[in-house]
Amino acid sequence: MSYKKITVFLLTAVFFLGLSGCTGTENHNPRNPKEEISIPMILTVDPSTGRKNEEHVVKAFNQAYAGTYQVDVEWIMETEEEYRKNLKRLNVTDQLPSVITDLRTLPSFYQMMVEENRMEDLSPYIQNDKEWKDSIETAVLEACSEPDGSIYLAPLSTAAFSCSGVFWNKHLFQEAGISEFPQTWEEFWNCCEKLQSHGVTPLALHTEGTAWSPMQFATAELADSKEGSAFMKKLFPDSYHNPHGLQLAETLKKLFQYTSDDALHADFDVAYTNFISGKAAMIANGYWMIDQIPEDFITQVHFSPFPGNKLISSPETFGWAVISDYKKEIKEGAIEFLKFRTKYNKNEKELFLNKKIPGINQLLTDYIDAYNSEPQIVPNYQVKWNSLLQEQTLGEYIPKLVNGEITTEEFTLMEDESIRQFQKESR
Amino acid sequence: MIHKKISGIQKKYLSYTLALFILALFLSSIGVWAYVRNNMTRVIVDKYGFMNEKLGISLDSLYQKSDEVTAECIMDNDVQKSLRAEELQDVQRNALSKYFAYIDLNHVSEYCYVDNKKHVYTKSYSKITYEDFENSKFATMLSEKYSKTEWFWTKDTLFHTGEEALFVGRYVRSMDYSHKPGMIFLKMDQQFLENLFGKNENHTIDAAVGIVDKNGNFCLERYPQGFLINDTVRKKIVSLTQSEDFGVILKGYQTAGGILQVYRQQESGMLVFTLVPNTILYKELNQILLVLVGIYFLVILVTVVTSLYISKIFTEPIQKLSAAMENFDGKDFNHKIELHTNTELDNIGHSYNEMLNNIEQLLIEIKNQEKELRTSELNMLINQINPHFLYNTLDTIYMLARINGEETTMKMIQALSKYLRLSLSKGHEIVTVADELENVKSYMEIQQIRNDDLFCYEINCNVNAKERWVLKLILQPLVENAIKYGFCDISEGGLIRIDVQEQAQKLTFMIYNSGTPMQQEIADKLNRLAKVPVADMKQFFPDKQHGYGVINIITRLRLKYGEEVKYEYEIHKNGTTCIIQLPENGVENDEL
Repeated sequence: MSYKKITVFLLTAVFFLGLSGCTGTENHNPRNPKEEISIPMILTVDPSTGRKNEEHVVKAFNQAYAGTYQVDVEWIMETEEEYRKNLKRLNVTDQLPSVITDLRTLPSFYQMMVEENRMEDLSPYIQNDKEWKDSIETAVLEACSEPDGSIYLAPLSTAAFSCSGVFWNKHLFQEAGISEFPQTWEEFWNCCEKLQSHGVTPLALHTEGTAWSPMQFATAELADSKEGSAFMKKLFPDSYHNPHGLQLAETLKKLFQYTSDDALHADFDVAYTNFISGKAAMIANGYWMIDQIPEDFITQVHFSPFPGNKLISSPETFGWAVISDYKKEIKEGAIEFLKFRTKYNKNEKELFLNKKIPGINQLLTDYIDAYNSEPQIVPNYQVKWNSLLQEQTLGEYIPKLVNGEITTEEFTLMEDESIRQFQKESR
Repeated sequence: MIHKKISGIQKKYLSYTLALFILALFLSSIGVWAYVRNNMTRVIVDKYGFMNEKLGISLDSLYQKSDEVTAECIMDNDVQKSLRAEELQDVQRNALSKYFAYIDLNHVSEYCYVDNKKHVYTKSYSKITYEDFENSKFATMLSEKYSKTEWFWTKDTLFHTGEEALFVGRYVRSMDYSHKPGMIFLKMDQQFLENLFGKNENHTIDAAVGIVDKNGNFCLERYPQGFLINDTVRKKIVSLTQSEDFGVILKGYQTAGGILQVYRQQESGMLVFTLVPNTILYKELNQILLVLVGIYFLVILVTVVTSLYISKIFTEPIQKLSAAMENFDGKDFNHKIELHTNTELDNIGHSYNEMLNNIEQLLIEIKNQEKELRTSELNMLINQINPHFLYNTLDTIYMLARINGEETTMKMIQALSKYLRLSLSKGHEIVTVADELENVKSYMEIQQIRNDDLFCYEINCNVNAKERWVLKLILQPLVENAIKYGFCDISEGGLIRIDVQEQAQKLTFMIYNSGTPMQQEIADKLNRLAKVPVADMKQFFPDKQHGYGVINIITRLRLKYGEEVKYEYEIHKNGTTCIIQLPENGVENDEL
């Protein structure tokens, strides 16, 4: 090659090199196969304690799956009731996170979610994963399964963490000269009388948000008889205008005789505040409240089964669902997270039942003892009864019942009206 | 004329320097141009990319706003009631129709909500029935998405205007029960999207901007005055509607029409594009290029002037040298060159001056030699003119001596006659060895008569003396030196022996005298003569009183036989031998 040709070649190369760099960039934004997949989720922060619910399992998962999956939690400070309403809003605006909790406490909403295929059926994943399946207690798996075998709620390993009983204030009981929690309902009412006579508000109650605390007392009392227990196991009862419904109404009316003035039209947080501030001696709630009780107060609190050795439990209420609209990889991550949660819960259970959990206190010991005392398990009314009754009728008519504006019979008729309305809407 | 004022070397130096410099400037200008162009492109891409991204983010905000507003509609109690099993009363339906008129979204020109019981809620004057809604096919506009807000650009068959417009549509679902969903459609007026571009009129914007929907329909376009988007760019933009990416999906993309930036709104799939015409880029580039050319012109000018000045430092002495050489006429040796450049050129000037000196000396020497030669030739001519007169006179003297019975005189005249005849040799330079020996023999006889019993001589010739040739008169000066210097310390009994033989096929003469041996210092000096240049030999004997004869012999021998001729003295205890060895055997005679 002559010098001229080389020179021309070099100059041309330099020239075109100069022209280069003018081409723009097109962002194809391909997903890096190794990129960490974010799993959006919403969890609540307890408004009274500031404690982040379920943070421990999220942290453990994110640590175990760092680089692969990351549960990206939006922590919101709202009550359980607000959270459940928010779930509905998020659903109709198509903004649900990939994993949702507390769904089973909203029966009609849950039903709608099933019918509209909004949730991923987890049964193929659980049934084909022996390790996962074996880590779930049979009763829990059954409770989470639909009649056709579908599983929309990834369960906890055990029901051990899903039981409700009575949290009671030892000091207030002592003030009234009571040293032990009543074992029968008769003793319970006597206890209430005695507390009240000593100027202590016996019960922390409320009427909004499915009237959770009073309804637990009332349904536990109803289940004290064989017939009552059978009624509580019934899904979507046909009517409440019967002896069971009337008994429940009577009990509710009676319970509110032993509560504070601010109980009517109030949400659970009012009742809870009354209890942890020492204004009320008893509140009905589940295991999960143990974590929420302030440390300086927890030593005053004991846990006991409802009178007649009853615990209320529906383990499916602790099942978490995966929303089906998400991309495959996100859903896979979410399912992996739910599996991790079951295993995590299994490990917790083993430590828990052997009382080997770090920082175990008297309250936890009480709970473990109650769980191990072969109690009668009463189903949670929230998963058995229609949502109109829970979300509207109870909140609207309990105050009227308590105030004597309606009779117990009328109360049950209102309950039956909710059944008709529910059936109409669900048709 | 410049080309006459500057020298050839300077001209070449200047032209090569200029060529190299222009090449360097050309290459650097390409580099600078490319760098500037890239930078300018980057600046423009950044500027308009930012602008386009801003527009895209504004579109995001618009979408979010429409999403929030429709979400509020969905969660409204009355709207939710309209989805329940129980029919709304007429009053409730009327109220609900008006509710949508007060939603918090600007530029809604029309709205239409259809519940799950075929009730249509619109502005009071719209008078749209459910059949109208069905016929409009708007129900099919919503995708399979559960309840996402959807934007679509379509012909308005719902409100019967027939114009193309942007619609916001969404399923309205029950919050509690699994009911058939309702649908809401908001028709947005043109200002809804135009607000994105602010209040700029077409003629004030310098880049083309526009919005394209997910199906590739150009919803809104604005161009600078006199600029239109060509089909290639349109196709490129439309192809991007298939992208699954969102946000800035194209930045700084060079097309025939200019530089294209595209932002894709994630939820609606709509594109916002900005096309920066090439004229904007070139407008800036041309200004820079103009400045660059000006600077380069100045640099070239400075380079030429500087090159001329610098090259002059070298070319001026070269020119001096060149002129001195050109003008040298071979006579004037006084025209010396004085160079003070502190470079090798000074050495060249100095060497030139030395060369002149050498040439001058050589010329003087040549002239002297020529003079001597001419004198010698003149003498020879004179001698050749008178040989007959000389011989006749010698014959007359010989006859007179014979008449008077003077034997010695007769003998001497006879020897002189022989000597002279051989010395002249009719002007020939080469003679036979026999003649040379006869000549030296005559000379020695004359010297014997002159110096009585000072010496005797022997001549031993071992070659055929009549067929061997030698430069004439090389032996006589040696014999003369032997008598003059060798026998200066004796008055009788001296011996001169001349041996002629062939050694290694070389004709060799050895002239021995038994007189006082030559001093070693003189012998060494004479022996070195054979190795110094002919021109320098005389410097060995600057007094010109000694060695003249020997120098003459050596000069003649070397001129005749070349540098190979051997001439040396050997000193013995009782005498000195001079050895002459010719480089050939003396057979040939080049003069014959």
